[in-house]
Amino acid sequence: MKKNEQQLIQQLISGDQQAFTLVVSEYHTIMLSVARAIAGNVFADDVVQDAWISAIKALPKFEGRSSLKTWLLHIVSNGAKTRVRRENRSISLDDGWQSVAADKFDQRGHRFDDVFEWDIATPEALLANTQLQAIIEDAFQQLPAMQRAALTMYDLEGIKMADICNILDISSSNARVLLHRARTTIHHCIEQHQDNN
Amino acid sequence: MRQCKDIAEEASNYINGDLPFAERMGLFFHLVLCKCCRNYLQQMRQTISTLSLAKPREQDATDTNALAKQLHDLCHKHD
Repeated sequence: MKKNEQQLIQQLISGDQQAFTLVVSEYHTIMLSVARAIAGNVFADDVVQDAWISAIKALPKFEGRSSLKTWLLHIVSNGAKTRVRRENRSISLDDGWQSVAADKFDQRGHRFDDVFEWDIATPEALLANTQLQAIIEDAFQQLPAMQRAALTMYDLEGIKMADICNILDISSSNARVLLHRARTTIHHCIEQHQDNN
Repeated sequence: MRQCKDIAEEASNYINGDLPFAERMGLFFHLVLCKCCRNYLQQMRQTISTLSLAKPREQDATDTNALAKQLHDLCHKHD
């Protein structure tokens, strides 16, 4: 456990209001993402609320074998799985997935069309375009919850693949497929925007 | 011999370094020969970098300050 995090946990245990504000603003959204992926939109808010309460109660026993973020995500994941079992629901991994690649290749697996370098190459330059920024944001929000959670954890939060598999309770190959599908969808949106401009 | 479709399917695993050596080399040789796939892979890398920079977030209407206060009060109650 990092020293800063150790300090933060001590502040939480001693009841420092600012530490609570910091931790909630930092981790609430990613916890919600995991809850939505496992339990669905309807139950996600309840699941996260319960997870926070469980976490705060268990905080003095936190041993720091993982980061605080990973620990919180495991708590929310366990809560979401319990909720799914109780409600007898299941979430499809392929929910909402549409292949964008199949029509791009011939029978031998060669591309029909050439792929060119993007005119605007750097991420900063791409994001300077507010229209594209909105397109990326919209595409992200439209992703199925499982894909959004996998993408958020791996690409945006830097969580290890093994932890993602445990948190989402899926195999490594499923996690990789979800990540790739999410990236492909976002890539496709940027590509379309580049082609139109 | 690996084809363009294989690159499209394995791009994330290739970028993440998650492929066995033989498979990675198979894709690498295709990439050496195919400019389209090199461009595609570069676009995927740019997509990932752009996402990291854009940091899109889950839509969430929670009042995090209120929640933090609730949790803080709960913590004190346990004291």
